[in-house]
Amino acid sequence: MLSPWVRKLVLTLHVTASVGWLGAVIAFLALAVLGLTSQDPQTVRGAFLVMEPAAGSILVPLSFASLLTGVIQSLGGAWGLFRHYWVLFKLLINVTASIVLLLYMQTLRYVAGVAADPATDLALVRNPSPLLHAGAALLLLLVAVILSVYKPRGLTPYGARKERERQRQRRRGVGLANPIR
Amino acid sequence: MADVTDPEARLGTPLWVKVFGVIALVVLVLFVIVFITGGGAMHGPARHAP
Repeated sequence: MLSPWVRKLVLTLHVTASVGWLGAVIAFLALAVLGLTSQDPQTVRGAFLVMEPAAGSILVPLSFASLLTGVIQSLGGAWGLFRHYWVLFKLLINVTASIVLLLYMQTLRYVAGVAADPATDLALVRNPSPLLHAGAALLLLLVAVILSVYKPRGLTPYGARKERERQRQRRRGVGLANPIR
Repeated sequence: MADVTDPEARLGTPLWVKVFGVIALVVLVLFVIVFITGGGAMHGPARHAP
């Protein structure tokens, strides 16, 4: 168990990284919409060119910071990592989004390459894929926010077993503290 | 909101977990179908080209 001071610090870092990730995804979504709708060829090419470095320098570090601080926070606190369904779902969302993001970096490099070639027709530069992926990421991260705020009840089978063990230990502790004479 | 010490939290699998599980399963199945039926035959950067 982490000390209350360290737990608050890790929670602050986790919230900062996660909210930052959500904000960066919204900015990325705006960039994708701009690339698809702008009438200015330079703006369209610029939007698709900047996606790869923006994702590499902002989205990827924030996603892993969110994952790392979330795991430390869960393991060092009362909730645990596999005991409550809401924590488990958040972990799955974070891991899935981070893996898809890493795989998608290859696509963003391809999209930037197409946009960088002045010979490529503007219709080919306009790619709906970043909009689709950023939209899906936003949806997943909003679900994670809702789970964090509402913390819906529900223990996993592992969590239920641990809870039973904890209660048994507590009863044993009470029994030892108040021996029958 | 869940409570670590809440006895109700121990009762079976909650409905919201079942709903989330079904949605995740449907998304996974759709992804596998798209992947198998040619859509994902060349999944990668070129697939995203318009």
